[in-house]
This record gives sequence, C-alpha cells and structure tokens, in this order.
Amino acid sequence: MTTATLPAAAPKRTSVPLPRLYLAELRWIFRRPRTLIVLGLLALIPVIVAIALGVGRSTDNGPGNGGDALLTSATANALVLPVAVLIVTLNLLLPLTTAMSAGDAIAGELSHGTLRGWLLAPVSRGRLLTVKALGVATFTLAAVLLMAVVGLLAGLVMNGTGSLFTLSGTTLSFGAALGHIAIAVGWVTLQLWAVGAVALAISACTEHPMLVVVSVLAGTIVSTVLLLLSSVSWLHPFLLPKSWDALVDVLRDPMPSSGLTEGVIRAVCYLVIGLGLAYARITTKDG
Amino acid sequence: MQPKTKAITAAVAASAVGAAGLAWLAMPASAGEAPQLPSISAEELVQSVLSTKTPALDGTVQVDNNLGLPVSALPGGVNVNIDAAHVYNDGNGNSKLTVEQGSADTTVVRNGTTVWTYSSKDNTANKSTLQPDMAQQPSDVPTDPAAAATQLVAKVRESSTVSVEGTARVAGRAAYELVLTPKPTEHTVLREVRVAVDAEKRVPLRLAVMTYGTADPALQVAFSDIEFAAQPASEFQFTPPQGAKVTEKQPDVREHAAPTKDEPKIVGDGWDTVVTGTFSPDALAPQQGHPQRGKNGQSMDPTALLRQFGKQVSGPYGTGYLITTKVGSALITDDGRFAAGAVTEQALSDALSAK
Repeated sequence: MTTATLPAAAPKRTSVPLPRLYLAELRWIFRRPRTLIVLGLLALIPVIVAIALGVGRSTDNGPGNGGDALLTSATANALVLPVAVLIVTLNLLLPLTTAMSAGDAIAGELSHGTLRGWLLAPVSRGRLLTVKALGVATFTLAAVLLMAVVGLLAGLVMNGTGSLFTLSGTTLSFGAALGHIAIAVGWVTLQLWAVGAVALAISACTEHPMLVVVSVLAGTIVSTVLLLLSSVSWLHPFLLPKSWDALVDVLRDPMPSSGLTEGVIRAVCYLVIGLGLAYARITTKDG
Repeated sequence: MQPKTKAITAAVAASAVGAAGLAWLAMPASAGEAPQLPSISAEELVQSVLSTKTPALDGTVQVDNNLGLPVSALPGGVNVNIDAAHVYNDGNGNSKLTVEQGSADTTVVRNGTTVWTYSSKDNTANKSTLQPDMAQQPSDVPTDPAAAATQLVAKVRESSTVSVEGTARVAGRAAYELVLTPKPTEHTVLREVRVAVDAEKRVPLRLAVMTYGTADPALQVAFSDIEFAAQPASEFQFTPPQGAKVTEKQPDVREHAAPTKDEPKIVGDGWDTVVTGTFSPDALAPQQGHPQRGKNGQSMDPTALLRQFGKQVSGPYGTGYLITTKVGSALITDDGRFAAGAVTEQALSDALSAK
C-alpha cells in the first residue's frame, strides 16, 4: 500500500493547482499601486465626460457645436454615455492600458528578476503563460467593467432611469439596457484580449515593458492611419481596429449583429495568433 | 517532442489558423452563380412587381455612392453619405426605416397614418399625420396592375429599351435583372438603369445606375441582407424618449394648390427631363454663418462655393456656374435661374433657353 501511494503523491506536489496560481497572480496585479491608479483614472473618465456634457448643456452651447455626434447624444442619455466612453477610449487609451498590463506580466517581471521565482516554483512554461494571460484578461475586464458601471451611474444620476433610450428612439427597460451595456462590455473586453495576446507575445520577446507599450501604441496608430487610406483597402480586413466602429450597433434597437460578429471573429483570430506566438517564445526562452 | 519543435509547431499552427480566419473575413461576399430562372417578359415582371404588396420583411440596405459629387457634406451640414439603412415592414403598410450616418441615426416609423421621424443626433422627434386619401395611390394611376404595368412599360418604352437581362443573386436571393437603356436619340449621360427583382417575392432588391466609361455603378442601392418574416407589432410603435424635442406637423393643405410662378418646371421628358426654375439672386450674396454653427465661425459665401465646386460657363442664358457629376449636371446662372438633369451641358443650356 505504501509503495503504491508514494509514487502517486510525488508528482502531485510538483504542480500547484491553477486556481491558486491565478489568485496569486491577481493579488500580485491588484496590489501594484500603478494598477490601482490606472483603474482609478479610467473610472474618472466617464465622470469627467458626464460633467463636461452637463456643463455644455447648461451653458446652452446646444447640440451642433461640433464634436462627436455620439457624445452629443450622450448628453441626455444614460445608455449612450457608458458606451460612448468605451468607444472613445477603445481607440487608444484602453489598448494602451492593456499593453501596460501585458508588459508588466512577463517583460516587467523578467527585468525585476521575479519571473525566476515562478520557474523555480516550479511552474511549467505553458502554465506560466496561462496564468499571465488570465491575469491580463482579468485586469482588462475589470477596467472595462468599471468604466461602464461608472458611466451608467453617472448617466443615471444626471438624467434618471427614463433616459435609457437607443439611437433608434426606443426607450429600454432597465434590464434590457443592462443587457445592451453588458454586450458592449463583453465585446470591448474581447477586443482588448486580442490586443493583450499580441502584447503578451511581444512581452515574451523582451525584458523592457516600455517596449511592449510602445509597440502596441505604434500598432494601434498605424492601423488607424491605414484604415483612413482607401488605397490599401485590401489590407483593412486584417486590421483589428477595423471593426471597432461597430460598437455603436449596441445602441441600436433592434441590434444589427453582422458588424459585431465580424469584430468577434477578427478579435479571436488575433487572440489565437498572439497566444500561439507568445507560447512559442516563452517555451523556448532561456532562463 | 523537443520544446523547440513544439514551439515552432504552436507558432505556425496558431498563425495559420488566425491568418486564415482574417483572410476569410477579407474575402468579398461572393455574388454566387447566376441562378437559373424561368424566362419572363419585361411586362410580366413589371406587372408582378406592381401587383405585389410589400410583404413583411426585415432588411439591411447598403448605398454605394460614386456620384462624384464635389462635396460629400453639403454646406448646410447635410451629409449625403449614408452608411447603411435598415428597413422593416409588417406587410400591412406599417414600416420602419433607420438610416445610419456614422453614429447619428435617423428613424422613420410609419404606423397607419402616423409618421414619426426621430433624429438621435439632436434628440428631436417629429410627428405628422397623413390624410387617409394621401396614403393611397394617386387616383390617376389605374388600380389594375396589369393595365398599370402595360401603361408604365409603354410610357418608358417611348424613350428607352426595357428588357430582362439574365439573373443575379442579391442578398442571397435569386433575382431577375430588369434593364432600362436609353434610346440612342436621348442626350442623357446615363448608360442604363438596372433593377434586380426578387424572383419569388417580386420585390426590387437592387437599383443600380450605370454611366459611361466605368463598370461600377455610379449609384447603387441594394439589400445586403433581407429576410421575409413576420415582424413584431412593437417594432412599429414609437414613443418619443425622455427629453426629446417633439414637433408636430399637420399635413400641408396647400401642397396640392396650383404651382406658383417660382415652382420648378419640367422641360423635356424621359431621360432628358430637365428641372428648371428661378431663385432669388440674393441667395448668392455672401451671408454670415448660421449662429448655431458658430463654432467654426465661417461665413458662407455661396458664390465662392460655386466657384470652388463648379465651372464658370457662359452661353445664350448669360453667365453662370456648371456643376458636373457622373450622373448629371446642374447649371446655375448669375441672374437667378437654374437647370438640372441627367444630361449634358448643352441640353441644360437648351432647357434654359426654351423658356
């Protein structure tokens, strides 16, 4: 009996259960002061936008004083405000935050020498990447969810629960409005996971977290510029930000699904490529 | 397996899957093979379209605009580019149309004789009531679709060749292509107008205006997606949302009064139809920008705009500006007359002189 249990117990101790690793990683991420500061600043954005729109309304610059049509609609609309804030920040700020998180996850730890602790634990390279990817995913979900909730609350405080209406003019019940916002949150988070997967692949190749942020910034800006050039229209379907405009569709009733679905497929493609490359790099990395 | 081999396998496999997915998205929606349909005459096709009541449907309309308009946004702030439109119809005369322009939507809901127009950009709603008889077809059109079709085709045949040219697949549905070609005697700049008609439901699915020198339509309005299914009644109800500025417009009774002197006149017929009219020459004088558009602070000078987008021309009508697009031209004279049509400059000039 004893001879039978011993070999069975021995390999069990070499692998730590994944949930425990995940919780340790979360503790590690959410105890970093910069994580909390970034989340706090992101949560401030909807409040600032709401106040700015409210002030603009009371001084009666009125709609039509230029600016984004969506932000103009957000003035009196608690459904549009959180989604408009997500649309505006999805173009640059949220990918940047995701890149920061992904840069910290591997490159940052490598430069501090703390990544060796994981490998001594011992944690296999595949599990290490899984934990790091889950950590980045959780952080981005938290950031998007926080912005949406704060945006919704700010909108409700300003305009009341009757102001949950779509761009088509139909007023939604509170539950239906929550459903629309939940779709927006899920969709934006998936787009950010795609950015995060690519950022993790870059992060696995370098030990400078700043390089990850700069690469993602450059990639986002170059993609956006390319999308403005009709001469390279054959390239457009390959660019992730191509589908980011489709998020406006969640504000319509009934919701047109083709643009959103295309965005999901595009994000999943990027996710697969990013994670595949990150896995290939991290398993062959020295030290 | 060696870690290195495994890593390369993972990288290659993941990249291949991802790239294949992206390439699949990049593939243009294939038009599919032209379906085989029983042949039909132009009269029969037109008749069946006229006799069909619009069935319950739900569709997305794409507008491809290659008109070559000198401005994409007119000075009045009117954007002429439409991203997409969604159409809903319950088959009983109730309909809903949503036009997307960027992130600003315009929704038109028609329920019975009530028509609501809602604009999300400035949160305004407009309610108007149609007179029951106005909702009906004008009385001078024969109610018998067969007679109407014969009459219509006969009228159109005076200036054009009408034919059914093969079949097409539009929004995944088999359709007949009805083609209207101007007769050689016409002076129009248009090559032909193609209308794709659904073979089963006899609903027009695509309208394309073709011009000379290019295979791409100058203007195409087509369903990219259509479904013939019953629509929920709630779709055709409209309640203005909170905070919306609601205006009500009663039908204008004078609308059917005799045309006044300033009403535009129609010169010519068929493809050569030219609209002429007059406007106050003061309209061309420089004016200050609309106070609401004050942010840009620009004062509008119509003459400067005309000079920028048009060409200064002169002829028997005096002097004026000519604005040319792929599908037609407009002539605006300095003494306050205008003419527009899908014709050449010469025909416009003739139309102005004909008065």
